[in-house]
Order: sequence, then structure tokens, then C-alpha cells
Amino acid sequence: MPVSAISTSDGITDWSRCLRACLVTLAICAALLFALTIAVDPYDSGKFGFFGINGVADRNTLTANASRARDPDFDSAIIGNSTALLINPAALSRATGLHFVQLSVVGGSPREELTVLDFFLRHHAHAGALAIGADPSWCVHERKDKPRPFPYWLYGRSRLVYAGALFSGAAIEHAVQRVQIGLGKRQRSDPAGTFDSEDTWPIGEFRNTNRPSDPPPAASTALRGVFPWVSELDDVIKKLPADVSVVVLVPPTAAPTVPQPGTAEATEREACNMALRQTVAGRPHSNFINYRVDNALTRDHANFIDYIHYRSKIARKIGAGIVASLRDGETAQIDF
Amino acid sequence: MLFNDYPFLLVFLPAALLIFRLADPYPQARIPVLVLLSLAFYAYGNPPYVLLLIASIAINWLASRAFGRFKLRAIPLAAIVLNLLVLGFFKYTNFFAANLGWLLGEPMPHLDIVLPLGISFFTFHHIMYLVDLRRGRAPLYAFDRYALYISFFPQLLAGPLVRWSEVMEQFGRKVYVPTWQRDFAVAICFITAGLFEKIFLADRIAHNIDPVYALAQGAVVTNGDAWLALAFNIQILFDFAGYSDIAIGLGLLFGIRLPFNFNAPFRAASIQDFWQRWHITLMNFLRDYVYFPLVNARILPRRFLPLQSQAAMLITMVLCGLWHGANWTFILWGALHGCALIVAALWRRHGPRMPALLGWALTVIFVLVTGVIFRATSVHAALNIFEGLGHSLDLERGKHLLSLAIVPLFAFLLPASQDIIAYLTRRPRPWLFVLNGLTLFVILLDLGERNIAGFGYFNF
Repeated sequence: MPVSAISTSDGITDWSRCLRACLVTLAICAALLFALTIAVDPYDSGKFGFFGINGVADRNTLTANASRARDPDFDSAIIGNSTALLINPAALSRATGLHFVQLSVVGGSPREELTVLDFFLRHHAHAGALAIGADPSWCVHERKDKPRPFPYWLYGRSRLVYAGALFSGAAIEHAVQRVQIGLGKRQRSDPAGTFDSEDTWPIGEFRNTNRPSDPPPAASTALRGVFPWVSELDDVIKKLPADVSVVVLVPPTAAPTVPQPGTAEATEREACNMALRQTVAGRPHSNFINYRVDNALTRDHANFIDYIHYRSKIARKIGAGIVASLRDGETAQIDF
Repeated sequence: MLFNDYPFLLVFLPAALLIFRLADPYPQARIPVLVLLSLAFYAYGNPPYVLLLIASIAINWLASRAFGRFKLRAIPLAAIVLNLLVLGFFKYTNFFAANLGWLLGEPMPHLDIVLPLGISFFTFHHIMYLVDLRRGRAPLYAFDRYALYISFFPQLLAGPLVRWSEVMEQFGRKVYVPTWQRDFAVAICFITAGLFEKIFLADRIAHNIDPVYALAQGAVVTNGDAWLALAFNIQILFDFAGYSDIAIGLGLLFGIRLPFNFNAPFRAASIQDFWQRWHITLMNFLRDYVYFPLVNARILPRRFLPLQSQAAMLITMVLCGLWHGANWTFILWGALHGCALIVAALWRRHGPRMPALLGWALTVIFVLVTGVIFRATSVHAALNIFEGLGHSLDLERGKHLLSLAIVPLFAFLLPASQDIIAYLTRRPRPWLFVLNGLTLFVILLDLGERNIAGFGYFNF
């Protein structure tokens, strides 16, 4: 049927009413949504929220970290991606007297991790310590972003951008969860962000996946010593007060994926390690630890979920290394 | 700029409506304002290519004026050839180079050519006008009117393909006449329906089947998911029908009635019926500008006319396939449909009457199976999927496959969206528009998740 057949003249007032009904419905729904989300602050970002509800019920580290990162109960943070997620913040807190929160981003890239770090530092003028896991993605010679959406709007400074991003089904879902937390009908997620891998990956199961994504060698000699993400991290660390301790660590990978001495990969790895070591050089109670070594622990597949994700036995060793470094700095004895 | 994205829906469209509302009282301003809005729309994605569009409009318009002055039939012919060469360069250079290299046994270099959005569509618009001009059936037009015919933003990127005679006289009319409220109400229904089809039907299927096609590029799909790949033609129906409905709705907001592009094609009882319901404006173009000229040309003796007609059908459908993309999969797909149309025509003339239900089932199966070839990135990938059909589908995944079970029912059972909208808007129903507002709200919420996928026909 041609359109002309469905648009002959009719009761103009009634059609105006129809148009009004559509637009008013849309406007009311949008206004209600904004009222709800701005009153509740679905992601506990601190940008809005009038009810004083604390925390989120969210297992997604991309969004849950905002609430944790601004929590005044913590003064220290673990930053990284899933390869730093198993480091237990409560264990570090007990051993150091600081208050650690786990802020690792699953699947995170250096840009995303630096964004979370920046958010944490903005909300903690007097930070205690930082433990930063630098997986191979930090060692690229040229910046390249991951093709995935990361909620930069959540960690940014603009309330307007944040408000714009609240127009989504996910924001409604989070808002409802926060209301339930406020009413005491829902448990908030662990404020410290503790993660237990054995919940998800049963012990004894090694998956032949996730080989470390070591970056390709530098395209030119000029680029060989250039690590833009490490430089950016260096800038951040240099701006920190001298009493903020920083431990930068290279997470372990299963032994077969550790670059063999004498190879081009090992040379590249060592260059990146040098750059990472420089970020904490001279800083009190700070250290660089390279856990990516070939030893009995990394040779045993029972200590890994896959090639890059270690289990709690290794996580405890890493935690102990961080504690020793925060105590003794570069002279710390690392048992690994 | 995508119709299903915030920049278009929340910024460009409201701004365009406001600007056009201000221009509407001034007859001289209506067409230039719409042209400028359309160019701004086109420039959003890739600004340099707007120069190509403007040059294309200018050259073709100058050719039409030159023909008007000198009456040389070679002028529009040269313009048509030039249009085809430009389209061929952008779309087929690497394809022909690769095949030439294969024939010569020497790999040819791959050129880094980006296909300008909508070039397949605006090239065909030029051709429709120039052919009719050359035949003495089309008048000359002022530059701004011709520019709007080519660039009118609702149809610029992926159609519907509009014949100049369908829209030229609509351009420049006053939109805000006393009955505009009804046209706008109908327009909102089309836009809502189109967004719904795209986001809640097409994209849901794509989410399930895209990984299958990705897997098939490298190996036989042995996990049973090959069966999911058969749903591609349902996905592309709602993707493109959704796009077309949005375009029709947008056209109405600016006072232009664009032609319908789909008419419930999966309710067709034969392959011929299917092609009269699927991408109608393209098939009308191919019928009028390829098939009829081939049939009417005196190539074979009169007694071989049926043979010539069948060959014309095959050639038309192969070209139809090639128009969709520079890949042997498209050519094979077109050839298969051409053969099917010939077989169906012969059956109708010589065979027994086909029961409607059987005809429908055969048509649907044929379209879904050949759709795999259309979607697969190579013939090898398509074969990997067909081989995978030997493995049964894992039905235990239940709810994940729900969309693949339900969405096809919409295609098989519902009338065309324009018929549904015509029925619902026979008289003003405020409750319907409350529902419409709610649906738009849910759509905008879904778009807020930023899971925005481009329309399939932008690639063709």
C-alpha cells in the first residue's frame, strides 16, 4: 500500500494528540530515568547520589572499581589486569598495616589501568602504597587501544558525560541493585574486591589457552627503548609524594612461555624490565619485581589456570614479595 | 552517520527538523537547505568523500545540461560509463586484480581502497536519470533539485533506490501544511518499527551467527552451530527492511514519500514471488535497466526468444550478486538465484501446479541455504558451514537460541511493516503512540549500551 493511502487528512487535533502522547511518554520516561539514576548514582561514582548508599553489587571489574577506588576506608591499591586480580588485598593489609583495595581490571589494557589508577589517586590525596602488575601489554613500543568499550565516562571528571552515559538499561539495573543495597535487601560486593579464582576454575584443571601476548619487536632501533605506557606510568609515579611506596611487578607466566635467554624475545623483555625498574628507582620502600621466570613454581601446571593466570599458591608468594618490598625496598628478599 | 546511533537520533535529526521547519515557509530555501543537511550528514563519517559526492552530482548534472543543449546521445552515455568506471574502481579493482593475478600466476598488489559509503546507490540514481534522459523520458532539472535527488540523506547510503519520477516533484513542497501531524505520526511509526527490526530482531540474530561465520573462515563448523548460520537471510531481512523503514519515516518528516523496499518476502510461495517482495527498488532497477534491455535486444533469432529471456535472467541475477560485493560468493549466489528463477519459470509453464505450502517451504529453504553463500567470506567458508550441517545442533543451550527460534516466525507470519502501520494508523489512537514512545525509550536505552552495529547494506 502506498504511503499516500495512509496519510490523507483526518482529525488534525487527534493526530496532534498522538504526536504529543509519543513525545510526552518519551520525555517522562527519560526524566524518570535521569531522576532515578542521578538520585541513586548507579555505579557509586561519587558524582551524584543523594541517599548515602555505599557500595555496589557488581562483579564486573570495569564498572565496580569506581566504587572501590573512591572508598575512603582504603589508602592503597593493587592495579593491573586479570593477571594481578588474585593478589589478596586483605592479606597485604594485614601484613603492612595499610588498607589495600583490589582494583585490577579484567582484560584491562595499560590505558584502562592508568585510568583507574588516576581515579584512585584523585580520591586519595594521601595514598599509602601501590602495587602495579605490568603484563606484556605494557611493553608495546607504540600505543594501540583495545577494540572494546571501556567506561571512561565513569572514571572521568565530567558529571555531564557521566550523566549522559546513565541513559542505558545497565544503569537502571545497577540503580535497582543500589536501591536494594540501601534497603538492606541485597549484599554489596566485597568492598576490597577480593577475588577467588577457585570459585570459577576448579583446582587441577589447566587450560591450554591464553599465551602471553608479548608485543612484536620494535620496528626500528629508535623505538627499541621506547615504551609509551611505561613512560606514562613513570610520569604518574614521579608526581606521587615521596612517602607513597610503589611496587611494580611483572606477573609470572607458565614456564614454557618465558622468553629464553639469548633470544630476541628475552632482549625485548629485559629492555622493558629496565624501563619498569626505572619507574621506582630511588623511591623509598619501593621495588621492581620480575616474576616472569622459569623455575619450579612456573614449571608446575598445577600452579596455573592457563598460561598467564596463576593460582593462589603463586598469588600468596607475590603478596609476600610485595610486603617484603614495602618493608625493605629494593633490598627486599623475594622468595619465588 | 548511523540511523541507530545517538549522534543521529539525538543531535542531527532534531537539528535538521528544526532547521527545515525554519526554512519551510520560504519556497526557495526548502531544497537548498535539505541539500546542505544531506551533505552534512554524509560528511560526518568521512569528510573527504563528500567532495566525491559533490563532484559526482556536478559532473552528472553538467552532462544532463550538455545533453539538453547539444542533443548528443553520447553525452549521457559517456556519463553513465564514467559513473560505472568510478564505481568499478572503488568496488572491483582489487577483485579483478586478484583474479587477474591468479590467472597469470603472478600475485597482483592489493590497493588500499576505501569504498565511499552509498556509492553503489547514488551511482544507480545517476544511471536511472541519465538513461531516461537519453531515452527522452526525463526532463532537465535545476542543480539544487538534482543534487537533492542524489543526496537526500534518508536514502543516500542504502536506498531505497528511487526513480527520479517518484520524488523530483515532491522536492520543494511545503511540509507544514494542515495535515502534517498525521504524516509525522506515520513517520514516527516507521522509524520506531525500523529501529525495532534492526536492534531487537536483526542484531539479536547477528549476535548468534557472526561467530559461526568467523569460525567457518578457518575450519569446518563441527559443533553443530552451522545450523545457526542458516538464519542469516532472516537477519539481513530485518537489518535492511529496518533501515528502509527508518528511511521511509525520515522521508515523511521532510515531506518526501519514498517507495517501499520489502513486502514480507518470507511469505512468498515461489522464488519469483520472493524477488517481487525482496529489495523491491533494486529489483525494479535491474528489471527496467538490465533485464528488459537484454530481453528486448535483437541478439538471437525470434524463435530463441525464451532462451534469450532465460539468459537475460541469469545475467541480471549474476550482476545483482556482483553489485552486492566483489567476491565470487556473491556471483555464485546471484547465479544460483538466476537458475532458480529460470527453473521456477519453466515449472510454471510446463510443470504441475505447485501446492502453495510446498512452494513456500522450497522457497524459504532455497533462500536460507543460498544466504549462507552470500554471507560467507569465501566459497570455502560456505562449504565449511554446509559440511558442518552434518553435525546436529546443541539444543541444550536453550535460551541463547531463543531469538533464532522466535525472530524467523516474525518473518514467516507477519505482514509487511507498511501494512501493519497502515492498519494501526487508519485513525488516531493515542494509546498506540504512548506505546510508541515507550518503545522508542527502550530502543534509546538499548543504544545507550553502545552495542551499535552498522547496517549490512552499507557494505554493498
